[in-house]
Amino acid sequence: MSDLPYLTDDERDRYGWQLTVRGFGEEGQRRLKAATVLVSRIGGVGGTVALQLAAAGIGRLVLAHAGNLRLNDLNRQLLMSTDDVGQQRIESGVRRLRALNPHVEVETIAENIDESNAARLVARCDVAVSAGPLFSERLLMNRAAVRQRKPLVDCAMYELEGRLTTIVPGKSPCLACLYPESPPLWKREFPVFSAVSSTVGSLAAMEVIKLIAGFGEPLAGRLLTFDLGDQSFRTVRIDREATCPVCNDRA
Amino acid sequence: MKVRVEYSAQLRTALGRAAEDVDLPDAATVRELLIQLAATCGDDAAQHLVTDSGDLRPSLLVIVNDVATPARRNASTTLRPGDVVTLLPPVSGG
Ligand SMILES: [Zn+2]
Repeated sequence: MSDLPYLTDDERDRYGWQLTVRGFGEEGQRRLKAATVLVSRIGGVGGTVALQLAAAGIGRLVLAHAGNLRLNDLNRQLLMSTDDVGQQRIESGVRRLRALNPHVEVETIAENIDESNAARLVARCDVAVSAGPLFSERLLMNRAAVRQRKPLVDCAMYELEGRLTTIVPGKSPCLACLYPESPPLWKREFPVFSAVSSTVGSLAAMEVIKLIAGFGEPLAGRLLTFDLGDQSFRTVRIDREATCPVCNDRA
Repeated sequence: MKVRVEYSAQLRTALGRAAEDVDLPDAATVRELLIQLAATCGDDAAQHLVTDSGDLRPSLLVIVNDVATPARRNASTTLRPGDVVTLLPPVSGG
């Protein structure tokens, strides 16, 4: 605890409503302040993760997302504004985060996760969040996180449904235990509302906060599935695949 | 025997329903359920269950008894009357 940064009076005031959360407290807040979180893509899911973590007072966000904002991103990419259409998405997003909480350091990388950057970006964080639409990105983040023994929160959704799990290397199965290949039928454009993507993002942000502050029970070894069509939420067990090429030799 | 089958995401879209009761031979396995469904549910839905060569989709998750497992790994799980089987095709973020 002595290595953790102290809170300023301004920060104690800003975070006053959460400092009284049971199991969190001032030490939890200091842990957040000391932490770096990587978010892969700041779209409907990852943008909400970043917003929630900025509000909560994470020390440093590393945000990776390539490309410019399109009009049809705005049904769910809540960090962005209509005026930003055609602009680089990552720069639009960061303005909102800095306006919300200037204490948070935000580093932007105008790239998506690929073979060349996954290990390097994961190495810079304490916890990673995978919020992109491509299985190739998710599986690369998974491999880097397992090798570096970093927790990874993995997010997914479709229409009114969401899915979430947290990979804690050494303690839980990994994403490759569930998805041994990049599924050939997956299409990166799919039906979704912001109310769904931002629910997934808020749930993921809570996982990150719990992992860093050390309270609650992250979804290690469990998959959360929910359906906002009937508001049903369920967690089920997931098991390690004994022959998994990614996490097997780390068991 | 009857089991309850719940469909998620693209499967639900392709089938136009979220769940149904399915008649199966007693002691049928997850594999037998999926092969029977694939043979009767139309190509749009079947592609999420089996590959072109008729194998179970590697990334289809099947929830039985509150455990989610890739279909190929729990293919030999024996089902009992009244079991609820939830089929989750792979989905992602965005
Ligand atoms: Zn694994």
